[in-house]
Amino acid sequence: MNEVLMVVFGAMVVLRAIATIISRDQFDKLISLGIVVAGIMPFLADRGLLDVLIATALIAPLSTIFILMAIRRREDGS
Amino acid sequence: MNGPDIALALCGIIALYAAVRIVLEKDTMRKLPFLNVVSFAISGSIVLLVPHPLAIVAAAAYFVGSTLESNAIASTYAGGPRDE
Repeated sequence: MNEVLMVVFGAMVVLRAIATIISRDQFDKLISLGIVVAGIMPFLADRGLLDVLIATALIAPLSTIFILMAIRRREDGS
Repeated sequence: MNGPDIALALCGIIALYAAVRIVLEKDTMRKLPFLNVVSFAISGSIVLLVPHPLAIVAAAAYFVGSTLESNAIASTYAGGPRDE
């Protein structure tokens, strides 16, 4: 991976992490979190950690689905 | 610059453009297609970065996972499945 692509993906991760903190809507926060996970994937692939990449790619959507279940329960209760 | 380098640069440009578009969109429902675009570009760049057979499996796993994630967000935003 050359330096330009590294800067592109790193900027993606940092900007979306800041956007995750400052966004108000809960769905906007989840979308930004999905892009943070997407931005770290090329770094894992560049080091050759393909097994770590497979595990992360399968576990991160599960955590998002658990957060969505919590959001739905709170909306139903209120 | 040979073929895979140009394709990798295009994947990076598409991912960055979609990420910037998500920042600029105000409506949450219009952000979700660009989340899918980001995951397509990242899947392509994973395969182009590592010339290894396991990279195809990793890209397929990431593709399935990210599609499931964005569809789950869209389904919950739209109200979820109706209770019969």
